[in-house]
Amino acid sequence: MPPDANDSTVAQLALLSRRLEREHRARLAAEVLAERGLRELYQTQQELRLLVSIADTANQASSITEVLRFAVTSICNHTGWEVGHAYLNHHLPAASPLRSARIWNDSINPLFAELRDLTEQRSLVASNGWPGRVLATRQPAWIRDLAAEPDAECRKLSAAGQIRAAFAFPVTVGDDVVALLEFYCTRVRDEDHSLLLLLSQVGIQLSRAVERKISQDRLLYDATHDALTGLPNRKSFRQLLAQTLLEAQQRNTQCAVLFIDLDHFKLVNDSMGHHAGDQLIVQVACRIRSSLQPLELPTSPDQSAQPFCAAALVARLGGDEFTILLDNVITESAPLQVAEQIQEALKQPFQINGQDVFTGASIGITLSAPGYYSGDEILRDADLAMYQAKSRGKSRCIVFDRSMRDQAARRLTIENDLRRALTKQEFLLNYQPIVALDNGEIIGFEALIRWRRAGDIVPPSDFIPIADEMGLIVPIGHWVLEEACRTLRDWQNQFPREKPITIGVNVSPRQFRQPNFVAQVRQALANARVEPSALTLEITEGATMGNPEQAIATLLELRNLGVKLSIDDFGTGYSSLSYLHRFPLHALKIDRSFIARIDGSFQSFQVVNSIMSLANNLGIGVVAEGIETTGQVEHLRSLLCRFGQGFHFSKPLSRADAHQLLAQSLLCVTR
Amino acid sequence: MMGVVFNLLEAAVCRTYGEAQWYELLDKAGLDGAYTAIGNYPDTDAFRIVNAAAETLQLTPGEVLRWFGRESMTMLAERYRIFFDGHSSARTLLPTINRVIHAEVRKLYPNALLPDFSFEDAPADTLRMVYHSSRSLCDLAQGFIEGTALVFKEQITVEHPHCKLRGDHQCRFDIRFRELVPTKSPLAKD
Repeated sequence: MPPDANDSTVAQLALLSRRLEREHRARLAAEVLAERGLRELYQTQQELRLLVSIADTANQASSITEVLRFAVTSICNHTGWEVGHAYLNHHLPAASPLRSARIWNDSINPLFAELRDLTEQRSLVASNGWPGRVLATRQPAWIRDLAAEPDAECRKLSAAGQIRAAFAFPVTVGDDVVALLEFYCTRVRDEDHSLLLLLSQVGIQLSRAVERKISQDRLLYDATHDALTGLPNRKSFRQLLAQTLLEAQQRNTQCAVLFIDLDHFKLVNDSMGHHAGDQLIVQVACRIRSSLQPLELPTSPDQSAQPFCAAALVARLGGDEFTILLDNVITESAPLQVAEQIQEALKQPFQINGQDVFTGASIGITLSAPGYYSGDEILRDADLAMYQAKSRGKSRCIVFDRSMRDQAARRLTIENDLRRALTKQEFLLNYQPIVALDNGEIIGFEALIRWRRAGDIVPPSDFIPIADEMGLIVPIGHWVLEEACRTLRDWQNQFPREKPITIGVNVSPRQFRQPNFVAQVRQALANARVEPSALTLEITEGATMGNPEQAIATLLELRNLGVKLSIDDFGTGYSSLSYLHRFPLHALKIDRSFIARIDGSFQSFQVVNSIMSLANNLGIGVVAEGIETTGQVEHLRSLLCRFGQGFHFSKPLSRADAHQLLAQSLLCVTR
Repeated sequence: MMGVVFNLLEAAVCRTYGEAQWYELLDKAGLDGAYTAIGNYPDTDAFRIVNAAAETLQLTPGEVLRWFGRESMTMLAERYRIFFDGHSSARTLLPTINRVIHAEVRKLYPNALLPDFSFEDAPADTLRMVYHSSRSLCDLAQGFIEGTALVFKEQITVEHPHCKLRGDHQCRFDIRFRELVPTKSPLAKD
């Protein structure tokens, strides 16, 4: 082989070796690049997996602690850090200090026992300490080496568990840090920026879970509590009562229910408005609670301080009805003592819109002992007892007995009969003459409803309040209006006069507040073809006071229609003199209670005198109700009262009798 | 089998026996030998090369694997220095195999079949490792252990008193650490 050929082969070999070497290095470099790519891909997948698993758990878990526990464990597994722990604000969403939720990734490793003790005793506040600084900044934070930190707190933690590195991140809802997760590692670790970014994302997922829990709690709270007073509502009271009854039976102890209904509440609502009524309810709830404070659930361990029962819970069932559940009632008199406490607490006036408002409580009590199987039965009987208390006069307290069920049954029968009374045409009107006091001339009548029930006449006081509660008062009132107008037309036709006969019709507050009330009146007048000026609508003070502006508007419409208006039972309700002059009234009807005492009581005389002056000043007339004696007539005449009605002249008459009376022209004033 | 194992085997064979020997083994095994570190190849490829080496060197396949494990650890230490940082002894590094080294391997080979090691109580100078693997490459594991000691220039004895290949229910290694003495060349054979 020629030397140059040999040289050329050597050169070629050298070239090939060089190429091989270069290819080899290129392959290694490519492998390093590919490995880095694979590692990063792996890392990203793991991060994504962590985030997805935490998001899934946050979406599905039933409790916040469950989510936090999962997050703490997952992050420890992901990072390989030895210790993970979560703090939680247990009073969501109020901002109170964070405390340990006792959630650890590993709660048994003895190496970290001291760290756990230290942590669980702490209450975190925003400061420069660890991890308080996370609270202050609401940002994730990292410590490379706790032992090297100037902060004594850090060195203490480090010493507690041979801890070196730490990181923590917050879970925030709005501006509040509601939870904080912290992690510790026994090696020094440089800050991992991408990990902190990932944890910010985890924090967002966790905060959604907390937010959802807060709104769930809020919904649950709203569903079980009365919005006005914050007391448990009917639903939660019934649940608790059922549970307490069951436990009482198992323990062979007694519980009791107090059913409270406020006195005069309707009057406050009607006369001062619903807002005032609400204020009263709130204040009453507050007083009831504070009068029971030493008894309230949960049970105090020191039962010796509570001589008669162990625990009490107040609820508002709705309207002006409150209930109290007494658990572990030791003596039968215990509920009565509690009832007295409440009545005492409600005695002082309440300040509503700068006015003193008085109320009281009618209280019914039922004890669980005599064979109750459901809480609803107890509640029902306490309600019945309350009803009894109420019907026997205000501010009473009555313990349930079985006879009340019979009375309740009777009332139920009345309600049922009342519902059918209109269609069965069982109502009828009586008419009481209204006379001119100077000459005894009948100027008109007041129409008074009666109910003929199974042959007996039921007086209005026995069924009107029930009809009012049932809402039946509206159709009944409508019938009265129509019937009275028909009678009026007949009498005007049969007894034509220079000044036509008038008729007064009572209008209940509920009827008066019907939006189409004026239209109903107009229709009734048109149907009967009578002049509006012959009809007087008698309303009570309560009907006008709930919403005075609305009442004035209705009254003006009625006056424009031509109807006359009077205030019935004047002097017994909460009159608002500031409104009285704006009412387009024709007359005040002085309540019978003042007339009854006008003979003997100077004060009553003065009251009537004042009402007369008031009416004169307002330019309206006066009708005295319930006149029974000549003396009363004399007194009224002396006060220049021109009109009156009462047994002295005539009791309410049937239509036929009234017709007969009209047929005679005059009625002797003095008889 | 991870491609890097083939690369290491090639490097070990070439370094000790020359490049020609590697091609002879490949020919004997009927393989072309194109392996990249980030690839994954049939286990049987590795076994065919090991068997060919055993035949050529008049050793058992187990002895070849153990030799390979020992030889390759210094190269692994160069390539993946990070695993060895912070350690000055096999005694601290070996217990991190599962948690640190295998965790890293999984990032590159998500489907890699990796052995698991557990550690049992043992006398103070002894590290007792139990090897769990479906492949029963305990000789390779022993070689890796010995190679790790070589990296740290430590003298150890590795006993293999229980072996699944010998019918025991698991493979156990008792690794005894001795006082540091001048070590033989990492390339020297026992």
